[in-house]
Amino acid sequence: MKKVKVLIGNYGSGKSELALNFAMQAAARGERTELIDLDMVNTYFRLTERGKMVEQKEIRLVSPNFACSGIETLSLPAEVQSAFVLDWDSVIFDVGGDDVGSTALGRYHQDFLELPEGSLEVLNVVNIRRPLASTAEKIHRLQEGMQAHSRLQITGMINNTNLATMTTEQELWDGYELLQQVADATGIPVAYTTGKKEFLDAFLARNPDPKYVGKPIAIDVYMHRDWDSYIEYGLNTTDPRKEMY
Amino acid sequence: MALTLMKGSEAIAEAAIRAGARYFFGYPITPQTEIPEYMSARMPEVDGCFLQAESEVAAINMVYGAAGTGARVITSSSSPGVSLKQEGISYCAGAMVPAVIINVMRGGPGLGNIQASQGDYFQGVKGGGNGDYHLLTFAPASVQEAIDLMMIAYDKAEKYRIPVLFLADGIIAQMMEPVELPEMVDYKIDPEQKPWACTGWKPGDDPAKRGIINSIYIDTESLAVHNDELQAMYKEVVANEQMWEEFNCENADYIITAFGTVARIAKSAITELKAQGINVGLVRPITVWPFPYDAIRKVVDQPSVKAVLDVELNEGQMLEDVKLAINGTKEVDFFGHCGSQMPTTAEIVTKILSMKEGK
Repeated sequence: MKKVKVLIGNYGSGKSELALNFAMQAAARGERTELIDLDMVNTYFRLTERGKMVEQKEIRLVSPNFACSGIETLSLPAEVQSAFVLDWDSVIFDVGGDDVGSTALGRYHQDFLELPEGSLEVLNVVNIRRPLASTAEKIHRLQEGMQAHSRLQITGMINNTNLATMTTEQELWDGYELLQQVADATGIPVAYTTGKKEFLDAFLARNPDPKYVGKPIAIDVYMHRDWDSYIEYGLNTTDPRKEMY
Repeated sequence: MALTLMKGSEAIAEAAIRAGARYFFGYPITPQTEIPEYMSARMPEVDGCFLQAESEVAAINMVYGAAGTGARVITSSSSPGVSLKQEGISYCAGAMVPAVIINVMRGGPGLGNIQASQGDYFQGVKGGGNGDYHLLTFAPASVQEAIDLMMIAYDKAEKYRIPVLFLADGIIAQMMEPVELPEMVDYKIDPEQKPWACTGWKPGDDPAKRGIINSIYIDTESLAVHNDELQAMYKEVVANEQMWEEFNCENADYIITAFGTVARIAKSAITELKAQGINVGLVRPITVWPFPYDAIRKVVDQPSVKAVLDVELNEGQMLEDVKLAINGTKEVDFFGHCGSQMPTTAEIVTKILSMKEGK
């Protein structure tokens, strides 16, 4: 059965990073994989900037028309429909941030409804070190907004708490403790806990309750938005001198 | 205190709120639209006002009016939008209204592009609007520094009654860094502290307490008196408010001058050059007005210094002030890009090496 993962969440929570990781891991398992860049909000730090890397792994990438770091107006291409029509093993939607970004999903409401039962996961990516997701109340409010805008029910949360280059396992632990409260209050389970292998291992060594960890998945970092990457590549990833990956 | 992972735009907005800003007026433009977006969610939580104006011209005039009541007010835009604001900025400067204006610079001239740039240095520090005025102008080089400068911006603006401009390039606004946020300042308008503010004078009240915010002085004498007052204030700002950073300057062979994010790239180049046995220092103006002329002159006057390299993400604007500071005593070279292509560490290293070889 086709597995469809829709990644929504607070702006800057790591959706594109996880989308790339899920796609790369699916492709590595030999799955026919499609990755859909559905971010209609942000003009920088797009999945599409990693297009070459993705295509080398034989992952099909669908991007908004004209998507690159220098263009402000995006539109959805007809090829998004291929996610529903074609026969994939794995499809991953990387959606724009916050409730505003998840609005782009509403147009595909009927297509999502027609997916076989158990095929669709709608995942809220949470990084509690981000200011608008730092309390249970804020996460809850954002979750309700995103569900209303996307016309989809969130099936699980992803604890992706990190502080970019200053991350330690404590980030995942604090995220775990906060998401317990959200899960108990909303009934939406923690489906995955994600982080770089060293932090994920250290977190799991502290014996968290598996009920609030979900499936742990170690990730690699492909999307850089920290200072060291700017020194190397600049903000302008369309600059032909500095093509990344 | 726990660190928060923040984008520069969000951090600037949150810091302004924590510094007591309760009025935001603006109009969206990339690469700083996250500032109004953040403000639109955050201002209602602190009983503040977020208003998306019909244009940048309207927004800056709303700033003029709201700041005239003594409130802490902020507007933000990017290069073309800040060009539109210039008339209102000149009015604020003329009426001595303290306020904070953010310019997240993008490529220009004209619409240019939405990548990072430092092309509005001239506009910011040489008077983008009309008349003899200056803005206290900060050029942060990191997200944390943008926050820290915001926490002193209103105090400085109110002390001198001068508008404050943040000249930040697109990278500062778009980059995410872990930051420490300061505590919320409990700011309330105090008419005793701000006797000039319009706080609701009614007929019958003490005429001396009537605030009038105005930048028009019809007769020549009163305009001259007003301008003298302004110039005296600017002298005070020049004397007291210069900020800069010196890095590895002692006995350096070469000195790099740079502001904002380019200075951070220069630091990486300096570290690389050190490994090659070449001693290079950096002077980074944090206030680009008032410009730290004396600080640069003092560093460059060291006998060890052979020449100066100014690096900017433009075609050489701060370069003019660097040359004024050095006043012909040492050679000044320039390296920069326009079109928003960031100068790289390797390019700066190569440039210094070529200066050393006398090419």
